[in-house]
Amino acid sequence: MAIDPETQVEREFETQDLFVNIGPQHPATHGVFRMVIEVDGEVVRDVVPHIGYMHRGGEKLSEHMDYRQAIGYQDRTEYLSQFNAELCYVLAVEKLAGLAPPERAEYIRIILTELNRVSSHFMFLGAFGTDLGVFGTSFTYAFREREHILDLFEEVSGDRLMYAYFRPGGVAWDVPRDFKERVEWVCKQALIGADDMDKLLTDNEIFIARTRNIGKLSIEDAIDYGVTGPMLRASGMKFDLRRDEPYSIYDRFDFDIPVGTNGDCYDRYLVRLAEIRESIRIVRQAVAQMPDEGPILPERMPRMLRPAAGEVYMRCEDPRGEYGLYIVSKGATQPYRCRIRSPSFCNLSALKHMTVGHFVADAVTILGATDIVLCSVDR
Amino acid sequence: MSPEERRPPAQPAIAAPPEGSVADLFKAALPDVEMTAVQGALDVLLLVDGKDAHKVLETAKHNPSLAFDFLRNLSGVDYEAEGFEVVYHLYSYKHRHNVTVRAKLPREDPRIQSATDIWRAADWHERECRDMFGIVFEGHPNLVPILLPEDMLDHYPLRKDNPLAPLEEWQGEALGPEMGRAGHIPPGSGFDVEPSAEGE
Repeated sequence: MAIDPETQVEREFETQDLFVNIGPQHPATHGVFRMVIEVDGEVVRDVVPHIGYMHRGGEKLSEHMDYRQAIGYQDRTEYLSQFNAELCYVLAVEKLAGLAPPERAEYIRIILTELNRVSSHFMFLGAFGTDLGVFGTSFTYAFREREHILDLFEEVSGDRLMYAYFRPGGVAWDVPRDFKERVEWVCKQALIGADDMDKLLTDNEIFIARTRNIGKLSIEDAIDYGVTGPMLRASGMKFDLRRDEPYSIYDRFDFDIPVGTNGDCYDRYLVRLAEIRESIRIVRQAVAQMPDEGPILPERMPRMLRPAAGEVYMRCEDPRGEYGLYIVSKGATQPYRCRIRSPSFCNLSALKHMTVGHFVADAVTILGATDIVLCSVDR
Repeated sequence: MSPEERRPPAQPAIAAPPEGSVADLFKAALPDVEMTAVQGALDVLLLVDGKDAHKVLETAKHNPSLAFDFLRNLSGVDYEAEGFEVVYHLYSYKHRHNVTVRAKLPREDPRIQSATDIWRAADWHERECRDMFGIVFEGHPNLVPILLPEDMLDHYPLRKDNPLAPLEEWQGEALGPEMGRAGHIPPGSGFDVEPSAEGE
């Protein structure tokens, strides 16, 4: 619960503020992230986040690679939702180069992207439980389902994490013959996993006590800080790029946008849990509509992509929020500028606003509910 | 729909935005500011001068017919001889429309007024932009490096005159003899370092 620091401190005692350093190597920071917390007793007075430990210059490197080589960098940026990032990148390049993927490739992409959202949210559920002290239990439950999804991705792309499977104009190669049956099986398992997590956490008294009214963010503050995705929806804003600015073939599917009411950590959890079920709905519709036969790349693909001079800011709904790519082309085989707008970076910038006034232990909860990917923050 | 029908039409390099677009709202709200409107691949682009940028952005946020409450993205671009650009991608949750504002800055001593007083989201973006391009955001409350080391104040990695390290440097040629023989570079390949004093 939010506590006003002024009322908590007994005035007659002389107190001293203490600086607590969390990170860069700390299990609760989900990566190489450091925050210096100024505490007054147990109450957080100030938070100074330090990022950049994993800055690899991905934007600069992308400027020195041709358009297809840079796909791999998207995987390494968003290493929990790789297909989402790849989709954004290939859509941006397609917009610049005027390519249109065949139907079958579009459906393959959407199925994989949505399953990737499910696996990413499972990762969140597992890690969030661990942050709150459900040590190991939530992690193993969540990873059981995530593993099924990663197995499917491995069958399709040949890799468990760094897929590099999408291409401008389609996908790299066709999916295995039993793809639809496998997807259906994975969907069934994912729903079982979501139900298990639901039973494990949603009504858990300790879980609610640790997350209700923690890290509240109003709609106005969320928008002002550029917070997007499940965090914005948990604050009560019904906005989803898949619905409000449909890209690819998202306009063909019927799905709901789960929203919260309080904007606290508990709502963020509920929104993500509900999004798993909505994503499975989209996947099932896509499997039903997907043509069994057909090309996966346009018939006439240039050997080297050389988009005309221009620029595009492509944005996609990543599991963490709006993943944007600003690509400037000057008609060369490499992008002139490739800027990654990472949702984790923008969501993290609201950390101080959410944390000040809470207990130190809640700072970990709030960071966990922000669901950051540090590779994406640092790029 | 066949793939041919869904193919977006090839874009001419410069096209004016259609009638009634968001560019007209900007022109009505700011009649005395010089701006060029171009239709981009997805959004309308507004080209303005760096000096007018803050005024344009402030109007974009507070004018009720524009109401751009969400700063999607802020990025710098180095156009070499043509100078720098700071690009703002804006979105309005109220009217559900987009605009891209491109503010032009000179090559020498690029300065622009900070947008942190308009959107708090601009804070970290501007710090990153200063890291990468050396663009100074005047009025920013805390313009210190965010992604780069704290003492890296004179080196701007994303500028075009700052090339990627050549391959030989990464392989160890530039390490010099005092650093020892680097890696597994075959002798006589032209990449190996000076022979050591002991002789081999």
